Amino acid sequence: MIKQETLRTFLAVLLVIIAVIYAVNAGYFGKEILAEILLFAILAMSLDFLAGFGGMVSLGHAALYGTGAYFYAVLTVNYGWNAPSAMAAAIFFCGIAGWIVGAATARVRGIFFIMATLAFGQMAYVYVFENRALGGDDGMSGIPRLDLSLVGIDLVDPTNFDIFLIVVAAFVFIFLMWLLKSGFGRTLVGLHRNEMRMRALGLSLLLHKAAAFAIAGGIAGLAGTLAAQHAMFVSPDYLDWKLSGLVLIIVILGGLGSLIGPVLGAAVVIILKHQISAYTEHWAFFIGVFLIIAVLAGGHGLYDLLVKLNKRARRKATKPEEVVDA
Amino acid sequence: MITDYSFWTIQLLNGLQFSMLLFLLSVGLSIIFGLMNFVNLAHGSLYALGAFTGYTFAKLLGSYWAAFFLAPVAVALVGAILYQLLIKRMRSASPLNQVLVTFGLLFVFLDVFRFVWGDFTLGIDTPELLNFGFAMGGQLYPAYRLFIIFLGLIIMAALWLVLERTNIGAMIRAGVDNGEMAACLGMNVNKVFFSVFCVGCALAGLAGVVAAPIFSVYPGMGIELLVPTLIVVVIGGLGSLRGVIAGSMLVGMIQTFGQVLAPQVASMLVYALLAATLILRPQGLFPARG
Repeated sequence: MIKQETLRTFLAVLLVIIAVIYAVNAGYFGKEILAEILLFAILAMSLDFLAGFGGMVSLGHAALYGTGAYFYAVLTVNYGWNAPSAMAAAIFFCGIAGWIVGAATARVRGIFFIMATLAFGQMAYVYVFENRALGGDDGMSGIPRLDLSLVGIDLVDPTNFDIFLIVVAAFVFIFLMWLLKSGFGRTLVGLHRNEMRMRALGLSLLLHKAAAFAIAGGIAGLAGTLAAQHAMFVSPDYLDWKLSGLVLIIVILGGLGSLIGPVLGAAVVIILKHQISAYTEHWAFFIGVFLIIAVLAGGHGLYDLLVKLNKRARRKATKPEEVVDA
Repeated sequence: MITDYSFWTIQLLNGLQFSMLLFLLSVGLSIIFGLMNFVNLAHGSLYALGAFTGYTFAKLLGSYWAAFFLAPVAVALVGAILYQLLIKRMRSASPLNQVLVTFGLLFVFLDVFRFVWGDFTLGIDTPELLNFGFAMGGQLYPAYRLFIIFLGLIIMAALWLVLERTNIGAMIRAGVDNGEMAACLGMNVNKVFFSVFCVGCALAGLAGVVAAPIFSVYPGMGIELLVPTLIVVVIGGLGSLRGVIAGSMLVGMIQTFGQVLAPQVASMLVYALLAATLILRPQGLFPARG
């Protein structure tokens, strides 16, 4: 038996190792799928931080992702910024956008919160979709990747780009774990669990929720800039609310509030999607049925399943001792 | 153009016609939302189902009017099956789980449409009876669009009569206002829920078959209209007829006139209105519950 905290770290390390091995050995198509998984993993971790720990179930997360992608695209393509400063600016802008949405919706709850985030997301989607300067529904192409040739790494190579994404995803995981252990993270969870008590302690609901949304927004924006670099192309689909829904599905299937679960969820859903697509074009049907069954079964995601298996293993391991005690 | 009287009349009629479609689509969703605390993201799919079954009926029976009456019945049947299989179980679930399950349903419906009717755009001809126009400032305004406005107004009046003037309406309003108390007074709340759900589905189906000759019929049509429908429901306030009327008029008119006056920001205006409503008046304009 391993402790839950150790289980999480163990799982994270295991996933990194598998990803690295895969990035080096897979064919071109496999590397592309791995990149897609990693992008979704970063986005899903960001949403899990917001929804699983902060209790803010957003159905507009793709809008922040897409905003990051477009911001990066516009700065690099139209204004000729270099990649690192464009990335930093995009992340900062998405953080501010997240802060505003978080502050505006701090008092909105339950289904209305879901609707409000959906509304903000659609606002951004429609703006991009109808803006000719951003290419409208054609999107924008010719987006450059980060240039790491100074340290001798060529990011145009798919293996290198995959490993770069693995490093970023690992950093995001470590950062969010650290944040959740900090005073801020504990306050956030406290606000979710018992808002009255935290407010009685004199904490500001608005400031904490807005800050959490800003952080989640910044990370979603980061994922967006990486997605734009990966595809070297952006389109309004990046901001579509169906994408927000897919990310939410990934988080729920992986395990809400576990941080590593959504990474697992991203891998399972994306691999499933490609596997099913190989046989039939109706993959959405199977994802839909899978989702309905998963929710009806009342499970708490893949991570929870692992925790339960782990507990069962412990019970088996300790049973002989109990007999001796008796 | 700006001072052209008939131009504004036509825009007003277009706005009214879109508002009526939104009304048909939203009223079921709103009452279901208010009555059962259940958000059904698959409601838009039922609208699409109405259009698709309408297409098939019109083709098989050779008459639009047969489709007009049969499609809502077919959609209500599908709704009844969905209710018994799935939605009954989800009523007490958390909003997150409701969103997830109905989101899953939306995916399933989308692919069922693609599988059965193919992934392309279909069309239904405007019925012969209404295939003429009224002259309006040198243009012909199609009679079919006026028919939609007329139909919307009739349904509106009928629903108002039922909700405000009959026993069944009193039971529905009691259920929205305080379901537990209504159940304590001997009302079979579950039966009311079920009937309201089926009627809501039938109206969504009606909206679909009515919209089919104007808009094209394609698998994603329900998803496209789902978001405006949710906006109508939230802006108007859950579970009230007045709210749905106000919400659909607001959204329909803003969308139509925005498209003419300020095309760059037109679509955003509606979302901005929703965000403002949620922040400033979360209960909506005319909530059924105090």
